[in-house]
Amino acid sequence: MRNPLKSLSDNKRTLGWALSLPAVLAILGIVVIPVIQSLIQSFYQRDLSRPQLDAFIGLLNYQNLFADARYLHSMLATFRFSLISVIFELILGVSIALVLNKNFVGRGFVRGLMILPWAMPSIVNAAMWKWIYNADYGVLNALLTQVGILDQYKIWLSDPFWATALIILANVWKETPFTVLMVLAALQTVPDELYEAAKVDGSSAWQSFISITVPLILPVLMIVSMLQFIWGFQTYELITIITGGGPFSTTEMVTLRVYATTFRSLRFGYGSAMAYLTSLFILVPVVIYIRSAYKKVVEY
Amino acid sequence: MKPSRLFSVLSVILALAFVLSACSTPAAPTVQPTTAPVEPTAPPAAAGETITVIFPKHEADIKGAFESRIKEFEKESGITVNLIQSDWDSVANRVVPELATNGSAYDVVEFDNGWVAEWCGAGWATPLNDFMAAGYTDGMIPGLVDLFSCPDGKLYGVVWNNDTRFFHYNAAKLTEAGFTEPPKTWEEFTSQSLAAKEKGAVKYGFAPFWNQEWSLGNEFHFWTYAFGGELVDDKACIVMNKDANTLKAVQYMMDSLTNGVADPAGLTYNQAAAQDIFLKGDTLFLPQAIAGLMAYTKDATVSKVDGQIKIGLVPSADNGKSAALTLPEAYAIPVGSKHKEAAWKFIQYMTSKETNKLLAQEIGILPIWVDLFSDPDLTAVYPFWKDFQAQLASARGLSKLTWYSDLVDISTAELHKALSGQQTAQEALDAMAKQLSAYNCVP
Repeated sequence: MRNPLKSLSDNKRTLGWALSLPAVLAILGIVVIPVIQSLIQSFYQRDLSRPQLDAFIGLLNYQNLFADARYLHSMLATFRFSLISVIFELILGVSIALVLNKNFVGRGFVRGLMILPWAMPSIVNAAMWKWIYNADYGVLNALLTQVGILDQYKIWLSDPFWATALIILANVWKETPFTVLMVLAALQTVPDELYEAAKVDGSSAWQSFISITVPLILPVLMIVSMLQFIWGFQTYELITIITGGGPFSTTEMVTLRVYATTFRSLRFGYGSAMAYLTSLFILVPVVIYIRSAYKKVVEY
Repeated sequence: MKPSRLFSVLSVILALAFVLSACSTPAAPTVQPTTAPVEPTAPPAAAGETITVIFPKHEADIKGAFESRIKEFEKESGITVNLIQSDWDSVANRVVPELATNGSAYDVVEFDNGWVAEWCGAGWATPLNDFMAAGYTDGMIPGLVDLFSCPDGKLYGVVWNNDTRFFHYNAAKLTEAGFTEPPKTWEEFTSQSLAAKEKGAVKYGFAPFWNQEWSLGNEFHFWTYAFGGELVDDKACIVMNKDANTLKAVQYMMDSLTNGVADPAGLTYNQAAAQDIFLKGDTLFLPQAIAGLMAYTKDATVSKVDGQIKIGLVPSADNGKSAALTLPEAYAIPVGSKHKEAAWKFIQYMTSKETNKLLAQEIGILPIWVDLFSDPDLTAVYPFWKDFQAQLASARGLSKLTWYSDLVDISTAELHKALSGQQTAQEALDAMAKQLSAYNCVP
């Protein structure tokens, strides 16, 4: 009698499928099925506290979203938050990674320290910044007053500009280490010979950075910026704890709207439509970006 | 497929998976209204059963009194309790989605007074009448029993936290400002605040907790009640934008931020932050403090006002009536629980008169049993409870509406806009009424 396990391992194609099956099932269960269910749900009026009103309403939820000023404003606020965060995370991340790629005493320790903000739980990070920004007892006010920049304490989080800027600062502080780690790993793969040859040819440090480093770490930068942009759209705890969406909804991100609509107001149909429309909004710039960036990588 | 196209397709799938896995909502279960037949009573609880219990940490429970009682329950019943406690928002964020998806992760859950109408409509909780003996609630404060009963007449929650708010003031600072009595009207509240501020006794009259968050909905109710206003009438019709007293309430809130009575930083504060300022002695009043605040005043690590705090009545509006907010929280058993009998045993133990008295003795929680308010053991420890009595008679709950969450979502946004000086009080109330018009006269 043939051993079924042996026949399975002999057929590489079957073995490949068999080994992938658990992961495929897990992805189906936790990603694909909820995604499909949400899509179906988005075509229904489904208010859990008013089940008698449940009905198929086609695209009405989507149509209503385009007239929902608060949702549209939250989209804009989230886009601004994510884009500015990504720009700062990339600039800071690459700069810090370049420094950490050099040999210096205590490099290992600094590299370890660098990961701390990223490893910190989001809620702890948010609570910490909330206290730093506290108008009456916060460190930020105390510091700026002591160095003479402020005459009196400022209520940072009641000002829409500063509230937005400060949640971006808190986000950049937490997320930059991820960029540093990724860029640092990419930098290790750049052969030193390239820099040496460029130096012999009279290239300056800046020219070497632009002509050698950037092209070689570009694929990593692309992935990192795309991930950070998407993660920016997923930010929830940070905003909820620091501003709650205030002042007067100016820092209200789309995740807060989705959450309030779905899990507080229990309007699952409308909430699902909100999640889908948000995804479409993200996909457009992401696809354009990926396509143009990919072309550049191929050219190099 | 070209590599570039493959790359794009993979990127799209990746992005979709990331975004939707965060934003997607689980499938809604087919819910049954509460009038639908309820499944038969679960079999008796066996020793060795494990139940998962989730409710917020009580504000006054500095020394873990609830945890100690739960350990006693475990010893006596043989039932193991997997306890999950955190702040109210975190608990709400876990409980509501779990119940909305008919989950069985929890056996006893937090049941907030603001959720009653929604839960009654959705049929998420198990009627406790199936478990309790006849006359079980006799002796409980009737209002608390009524509040957690659904239109079918059955009880769905037993209160574990009789969270009524009381007007606290710093008597020492008030004397320093030249006053012997706390304010009886809101005009006096303003004048005493400004006088105390001018004399340097305090920084502000009070620090509000008006950050744009869920609790601003509570504050909206309190200030409306305090000025004799209404948000909806008894038929759930929206009256907030037509009620002159509600307008006065919002106008007073707005004015207090600009005339120096309220700390303008209160626009960014939650309740804990506002309480912290009061305990530091920087404000004169805390109009709606938790009943257990006195326990905090004695804790030198957080308070500089031990012995200075007294309790008064919330100042009255033109109608001469005082009003306070009551925000009781109950234990409920989700319909999805697989350990209902054990869950009921837990509720029964934790809300019994004996446990209620012990918790009151240890951390000063307000009892749910009427006769405990005159229990000599308790009144000896809490002589200020006699000051609570007058206010308890005028305490009111939140609006009991199936669309309460929408009311909070919309009113907090519009109210915050008004408090920030971006619109007038009338504009804010009109905007609320307009956005909530779909629910007008819907209970």
